[in-house]
Amino acid sequence: MNDPTISGLITTTLAAPTLACAALALPSWFGAKLRERVISGIVGAAFAVAAVASAAALTLLLLSGEPLAHLSFGHWFDVGHYDFHITLIADHLSLPFALFVALLVGLIGAFSRRYLHRERGFLRFYLLLALFGASVELVALAGSLDLVFFGWELVGLTSVLLIAFFHERPKPVEHGLRAFLTYRMCDVGLLGALIWLHHTAGTTAFEQEHAPWAGITPVADAGAAMLIGFLLLWASMGKSAQVPLSGWLPRAMEGPTPSSAIFYGSISVHLGPFLLLRAAPVLMQTPAVAWSVIAIGALTALHGSFVGRVQTDIKSVLAYASMTQVGLILVEIGFGLHYLPLLHIIGHATVRSLEILRSPSLLHDHHHLEQAIGRQVARAPVHVDKLLPRAWQPWLYRHALERGYFDGLLRDFVVRPFLAVWRGFDRADRWLADLLAGRDPESPPPEERAGGAR
Amino acid sequence: MIRVLPMTVAAAMAIAARGVARHADGQRARSLAAAATAGLIGLLLLLDWLVVAAGLPASFELAGIECELERAGWQRTMPFVDLVIALLAIGLAPVASHPPRTLATILLTIAIAIAFQSLDEPITMSLLWGASVLLVARELLRLEGRASAVVRAFRRYQGVSVAAIIVGAIAFASGNPTFGAVMWLLAIALREAILPLHGWLPLFASRAPLGLLVALVAPQPGVYAQLTVCGDITGGALAHDFAIFAALTGIAAAALGVVQTDARRAACWLIISQTGLIAFGLENASLVGRTGAVLSWQVMALGTSGFVMTIAALEARRGTLSLREPGGSFARTPRMAVAFLLLGFASVALPGTLGFVAEDLLVQGSVDEYPLVGFAVVIATALNGINVMRSFFVLFSGTTRHTGEHDLTRLEAGVLSVVLAVLLVGGALPRSLLSPEHPPTSPSTPPSDH
Repeated sequence: MNDPTISGLITTTLAAPTLACAALALPSWFGAKLRERVISGIVGAAFAVAAVASAAALTLLLLSGEPLAHLSFGHWFDVGHYDFHITLIADHLSLPFALFVALLVGLIGAFSRRYLHRERGFLRFYLLLALFGASVELVALAGSLDLVFFGWELVGLTSVLLIAFFHERPKPVEHGLRAFLTYRMCDVGLLGALIWLHHTAGTTAFEQEHAPWAGITPVADAGAAMLIGFLLLWASMGKSAQVPLSGWLPRAMEGPTPSSAIFYGSISVHLGPFLLLRAAPVLMQTPAVAWSVIAIGALTALHGSFVGRVQTDIKSVLAYASMTQVGLILVEIGFGLHYLPLLHIIGHATVRSLEILRSPSLLHDHHHLEQAIGRQVARAPVHVDKLLPRAWQPWLYRHALERGYFDGLLRDFVVRPFLAVWRGFDRADRWLADLLAGRDPESPPPEERAGGAR
Repeated sequence: MIRVLPMTVAAAMAIAARGVARHADGQRARSLAAAATAGLIGLLLLLDWLVVAAGLPASFELAGIECELERAGWQRTMPFVDLVIALLAIGLAPVASHPPRTLATILLTIAIAIAFQSLDEPITMSLLWGASVLLVARELLRLEGRASAVVRAFRRYQGVSVAAIIVGAIAFASGNPTFGAVMWLLAIALREAILPLHGWLPLFASRAPLGLLVALVAPQPGVYAQLTVCGDITGGALAHDFAIFAALTGIAAAALGVVQTDARRAACWLIISQTGLIAFGLENASLVGRTGAVLSWQVMALGTSGFVMTIAALEARRGTLSLREPGGSFARTPRMAVAFLLLGFASVALPGTLGFVAEDLLVQGSVDEYPLVGFAVVIATALNGINVMRSFFVLFSGTTRHTGEHDLTRLEAGVLSVVLAVLLVGGALPRSLLSPEHPPTSPSTPPSDH
């Protein structure tokens, strides 16, 4: 189906936030000072337009009875046999997600106007929010894995810059870098998958075969399909904080509360499941990948549930609660379900972002509630105590306190050995360079002798 | 064959360099050099437009000498890219570390690069190669003194490089192209700091004025030589081995960049990694990979040079830039921080920039021929991204201590605006830079379509 009205609406959904980015970025680069009302107004208006456009496109698509609509913008670039085709897609997965994203980003934008009033990074926050919104809309509406990668990378970048939003404090910066490290290493999976898809299938375009929405074209070669499936799973694990790569998520809560809500409560953390929903044909083709998705999702759900119980601050509790739900969504996807995970994503994202937005007022809300009911709020019953044997409980408690030891294991067996090896190479390289330059390798380097590099 | 436009630009730069060297006042010398370079960019664009608009003949004969107005296809943009490199190296050069003679050397080095890239005759090319090395060596000697390790390292490594390229050129002329190509590849590997022949570059980057580093490295005459002279001859096993070495350089340098403790060396390993990946792409049999490599070269010339020169500008404000602990403020220098981040990420394939297009083509083109190395290149790009982000965070955040440094000056902002515009507009409309009628391959070897 190629309805010009739907095409125009999809284009508007993507163009409005993109133009908002440009409208904020260009004047500020040239030194113009924009007022807070103007900044939030531009972002709010852009996402309102995007929400209306995507809602209208969804309505028209449902009324038409067609399963999907393609919108082609032709080749972005092409050389020889290779071309990067820009295609957007409107189907039962992309449009609900795009509508939800536009609504939520718009609401967060409206909420943040007061929350970040007179904050020094007000413009920076809104610029990154608009860029994030535009990137997620691109991921949602992309008609090929190439375009998904484009938006996916930008989502990661905006996420990291917002974790380090309070840049004068060392911890947010450290945590931002940690998140970036995880994202970057896992993005290798997505890039690897799309390269291998080009190599084997010749295309990364999403096609609709038997599933209720379009997905990655299955690859004839079973080995290649398995490789692509595992690479996509790896990419999803990083973005959605699945074990053992989950350590960055609670630390990411260092950013402003509205960005924590939109990234780690609602949208960004659900992009992994979204990608796997698009990859459903490959998952169904290779049971090993599907079972791995289930195993990782289940492990993450258990891990998040246990570790979340021993956290002492509300944002960490909510981060682990998010992780648990995303793990469950992965299990649903692994079992080959389609609409349930989509509904789970939207429902969980809505509730969780509301909880995170209210988290700074937790004590205030609690007091209000107690005043209203006239007594103390009863503690929620802890069923897990009754279900688990007593002998296991101290071990599990320790396990939860140590966050499953995953952070320590990754630090001790991946990051430190990597750094040690390459620092060793660096020392050897300096020694060799000194030797070849005719300088005594034992003497101090020139910058130290001169009191600092030029 | 004389290419009139590039040669005219190179000659004009050489004249401007003489004028700049005579100035005693560093500030005025820099303004003059920047104005001259900006004027030449404007002139080149105007002449280029006139050539197209007037439909002038592409080649003609003048006093018996065969002439061409400018090169076609992918080579056409090279003088423009070289001039933008010059603008960056001068516009962001701190006056304290870049006296007038250094600025003049920068202009001359880039003028030689423009002339080099308008030729395809090995003997003349090898002489120009040697001239640029001599110029930089002379300036380094003046700044650092004879006893300096960096001067010794530069002389030893680049002395071999000049000797190899001249011997190679003689071999070409005497009908021994295979030996010539081997010697040229050796010279290129030394100049481009391909592992294990890279030892001079980290030392050079630690001590030399960064403008000089950019002028020497960014125009990448080795890339041009590899494509135009060695392309036909180094097929088969030799090309394969060189590609593997280059790719390993890209990967190892990316990993080494992540563990550096000062900004100059981190940027230097980023350059080495990028250069390795470009050299790897050029030895691809596939047209897609080669096109990606040429585009990566242009992106590196602009993005990585801008990244390095932003470090130079920041160093002028703060002194030595250590990466051991955070020491800057985004709020104090927001435009400098944004430029640093965008330029760094443009050179490591940030979506929306020209770097993304280049990386996509490079990887897609190489995966058929080198599947495993192709994946490793992806990991190298990821590590380079970590290097850029780590440098950004350490240099622009993490502390409440501020030294009161000021944001970009008008000259710096203007130059960076031009470079960012090229990278972003080029990223949005890359087709104008990919010339299907003149692909980056030597005419006698038809490229494979894979």
